[in-house]
Amino acid sequence: MRGRSARAIPPWRTALRWVLARVGGALLVVWLVATIVFFALRSSGDPLEAILGGPGSQAGPEAVEAARREYGLDQPLVVQYLLQLWRVATLQLGDSYARRQPVADLIAEQLPGTLLLAALALAAAWALAVTGAIVSTSARGRIGAIVNATLRGIEIVATVMPGFWLGAVLILVFATSLGWFPATSQGSHPAGLVLPVLTLAVPIAGFLAQVSRDALLEADAAPFAVTARARGAGEPRVLLRHTLRHASLPALALSGWAFGNLLSGAVVVEVLFARPGLGRLLQDGALSRDVPLVIGAVTVVAVLYVAVVVLTDVVELFVDPRLRGPRPAALRAPDVAVGS
Amino acid sequence: MIRRLGVSGAIALAALAVLLLAIAWPGLVAPGDPLAISPAEGFRPPSAAHPFGTDESGRDILTRIVHGASASAGIGLAATALGIGLGLVLGFAAGLGPAWLDAALGRIIEVLFALPTLVMALLLVAVLGAGAGSSILAIGLATAPGYARILRSRVRGVARSDYVGYARLEGDGPLTLFRRHIAPNTLWPLVSTATLGIGQAIVWVSALSFLGLGSPPPSPEWGAMLNAGRVYISTGWWMTVFPGLAIVVTAVVLTVLGRRLAGAGR
Amino acid sequence: MPALVAGLTTALLLTGCAADAFDAPPTAEPIEGGTLVYATGDAEPTCLDPHVGGNYPQALISTQYLEPLVGRSPDGEILPWLATTWQASEDGLTWDLTLRDDVTFTDGTPFDAEAVKANIEHLKDPDTGSSTGWLAVQQIDTVEVVDATHVRFHLSTPKSALMEVLSQQWAAMQSPAGIARGKDENCLAPVGTGPFIVESWTPQDRVVLVRNDEYVPTNPQGHDGPAHVERVEWRFIPDAATRQAALASGEVHVIDNPLPADIAAWEGADQQHIDAPRPAASNRIELNSGQAPFDDVRVREAFIRAADPNPGIASLFHGTAERSYSVLSSVEPMRLSDESVFATDPERAAELLDEAGWTDEDGDGVREKDGAPLTVRFPVSTNQSTAAEQSLFEQIQANTGAVGFDVQLEPMDLSSWYGALAAHEYEAVSAPYTTVGPDVLRILYHSDGTIPAPSGYFANNAQLKDPELDALLESALATTDPAERADIYTQAQRIILDSYTVLPLYDQQNHFLTKGVTGVEPLTTISTPLLLNAQLLG
Repeated sequence: MRGRSARAIPPWRTALRWVLARVGGALLVVWLVATIVFFALRSSGDPLEAILGGPGSQAGPEAVEAARREYGLDQPLVVQYLLQLWRVATLQLGDSYARRQPVADLIAEQLPGTLLLAALALAAAWALAVTGAIVSTSARGRIGAIVNATLRGIEIVATVMPGFWLGAVLILVFATSLGWFPATSQGSHPAGLVLPVLTLAVPIAGFLAQVSRDALLEADAAPFAVTARARGAGEPRVLLRHTLRHASLPALALSGWAFGNLLSGAVVVEVLFARPGLGRLLQDGALSRDVPLVIGAVTVVAVLYVAVVVLTDVVELFVDPRLRGPRPAALRAPDVAVGS
Repeated sequence: MIRRLGVSGAIALAALAVLLLAIAWPGLVAPGDPLAISPAEGFRPPSAAHPFGTDESGRDILTRIVHGASASAGIGLAATALGIGLGLVLGFAAGLGPAWLDAALGRIIEVLFALPTLVMALLLVAVLGAGAGSSILAIGLATAPGYARILRSRVRGVARSDYVGYARLEGDGPLTLFRRHIAPNTLWPLVSTATLGIGQAIVWVSALSFLGLGSPPPSPEWGAMLNAGRVYISTGWWMTVFPGLAIVVTAVVLTVLGRRLAGAGR
Repeated sequence: MPALVAGLTTALLLTGCAADAFDAPPTAEPIEGGTLVYATGDAEPTCLDPHVGGNYPQALISTQYLEPLVGRSPDGEILPWLATTWQASEDGLTWDLTLRDDVTFTDGTPFDAEAVKANIEHLKDPDTGSSTGWLAVQQIDTVEVVDATHVRFHLSTPKSALMEVLSQQWAAMQSPAGIARGKDENCLAPVGTGPFIVESWTPQDRVVLVRNDEYVPTNPQGHDGPAHVERVEWRFIPDAATRQAALASGEVHVIDNPLPADIAAWEGADQQHIDAPRPAASNRIELNSGQAPFDDVRVREAFIRAADPNPGIASLFHGTAERSYSVLSSVEPMRLSDESVFATDPERAAELLDEAGWTDEDGDGVREKDGAPLTVRFPVSTNQSTAAEQSLFEQIQANTGAVGFDVQLEPMDLSSWYGALAAHEYEAVSAPYTTVGPDVLRILYHSDGTIPAPSGYFANNAQLKDPELDALLESALATTDPAERADIYTQAQRIILDSYTVLPLYDQQNHFLTKGVTGVEPLTTISTPLLLNAQLLG
């Protein structure tokens, strides 16, 4: 309610409360995720096939019984759930049913590949978005209007482009027909990264571009920019010292959402380009009901997401001094209608 | 209001009309049986007889795309409706309720956000099995937190605004407040958000089909067609490109319309 | 626009790196050494030891580093490999084998009777979790080590098919010391006698195999010496289009599971197409005769008369798959093929359904009887059915729909598919089964096959319980005389075909495309590609 007086609260206490709230949130996330995954995978379909050697195996009776006992599948569901929760709480991610290797090892092996892809895609998306925003605000006159309209059109198309369609078309054009880039890749060979990174980056770039441009236009017309120009500052100086900072704020705030979107997209891109990674691990695990693997992987994803959101909040605080005080509603993260 | 839509908005509206017609009366737009197989005619490139070519079983792709509109757009619509419904409940509860409820729901919304859509959908489908129903549920649940968040902030903003304060001073009860002030100011902007959302939902539904988790065959759902056609992409590009185009164009049309509505409503 | 330009410029800058990577080698002579890259589209094995579980992806890769006791010629004749002679006793309960004395495993352990005993016991041990291999040695009670080169199997019941099933990759010989390391370690790198050695396994990426320079040429299909190539990279590329693109650009040399259209278009100087149908059973659709509506033989026959899969097979598979009219694969010498049983006749189908009491009262296109519609639930495993096959099922759905069947195709993941079968929630299903020899008929169609294992799994999806058939299949197992066996199996197949519970489609498709390499050939036992004789073209 407006008008309620604010007692002076020491800054360190606000910071501490904020950190605790975040950590609490993260723990809640992990718990809920583990629960959802556990019941999702166990309430229908039997993990036995995964344990007994994957697709195509035709198990003998003794092998099945031994597996049931070894994995505790003969105990009531609630007991299994509590055991699983205990394991997650004590950071024992366990062994994958299907691969018989520690889940932690599997995830550690596959995570860097996905993170590399996501980081490059985010950087590429940023680069594309900011470039597009700068160009469209700099362009003046008739040509400027056409450029602007074209860019807007491209942005809209980019945001709604299904990743797998774009990837398939890119492979068709650049790998199969022109042979410029390889269709498959792994590791960090630059040529092999171009198509997957592009496929991941385009939808995000579209959204970031729209948001950046709106912010840039606003900042461009704001009093401080007008004053700077009146004092004789050239365009590049105005851009770099003043407006860019403002333009990057909404895009920065969206980086958390973007990261989540990238992880979703990674599932598709990794399958399409045959790249090893967390996304492929997740899909394999979900389809073969490899409970420990999926719980571990999804938990890692959720924790990463929260970490990225916290990180962007911190960076926002640095970039925008206004946020260090009580937060005006206008500067909260822009509305994102759909999930990541 | 139509005037405020502008050129692009008008075009989008016209395209939407065609889409709605395709959903309601596909036989008018594309006479012919989308399920009629003709193995001898399989894998034909676009031609006069088949403007979008034929698929692997000889079915006309244009006819299938038109008849698939109700499946794809329908699922997208249903998923968005579910998402908005849930979002409404969560958002209003958080926005209008006591502070502790707001905090608790805020946490839950954050948690739901932390699970990427596709991952959540994968899990749900693992439980419920693949199909239209699971797709709707999965996408609905995944998009609900987004709507909840928007609604919550709007509701809070309106509830704390001056004119609501004055109305309360004048003695308006909570129900009247809701009916007269809060609802209209929060729900109208939702229309544009929803339009955007339907476009996104259609893309998500087709992504689920790509992973093999969508409508069962022989449904001409666009995502399923895209998934089936992608296997043949090097020899039959039309089987992938046209359904993909249908998805993109529909989503673009809805996005443009949504944007224009947002602008018009302001 | 600028964004696009920036993107393209970056792309062009990077092509310098890309262009070097894959200049296609000119038509050239075979060379020694080098690295051969194989890209598989099958599921990645969860364990490289084929004793554990026992599926085809494991057979594919273990062909390069493990060898079985015996081989099999294309005519079905058993060939010596690690074992040189074999003899069954009069009553069929004892088998004596003579082993080679000049073979060692790549970890130095000698291959001898003790090793054979350790392997058979490993297969039978429940902790191993073997399924296919376990079935092969199920009848072996004990293994007796007579001396270093002589081993004796004591069976609980006669099994004339013993040598056939011992030729499978899932019963191949591993080093006892290797097995003794424990399952976890042995799964990562099993130790065998084969032409290659497992060096490393990067999950979801590749397995690296290096040449066994001490390889003793025992393979009946091998040349006189160790492998030509130095290294094999076994890459996992599940997406068919991506795999094909990798082959075309020269990133990989051999792929499996190619798309039919790509097979049909594949020709060129350094390019080869290998067609190696898998042995044992053909690819069939089975109708569940254990419950309505297919408990009525007339309804089954009606379905088969209406299905008309031939035009679909011709167009979807681009001529790479030939229609089969037999339950057994075309590489099985004892198969019986009868086209007349499966003649397409939609009018006859309609007549049969009318006779059986199924009519379309309400005119919705689906027949009913006593209020129940003529529904056929058809769960489809997306892991095991290729895109072309799934499209074929759609066509069969449309064709049988024309006479009043309501076929409901249900694509699902493997776990759910097994679940649906175990719960009898199907009327039609296509379930591939890979082993060696006509004894597969016993596994698939003997009434014992309807009894579920503890996991709920059963192999007899047709739910055939015919005492006459049972007797024939059992006697075939006890008969060692080849001519008599062939005759019994012919009679058995006659019964199976005439029961209208099976609609054979084609052989289990097993195609390989190669580029830039020569000497890749299918192993005659289970049709996996053998890289022992392969040479890169440089």
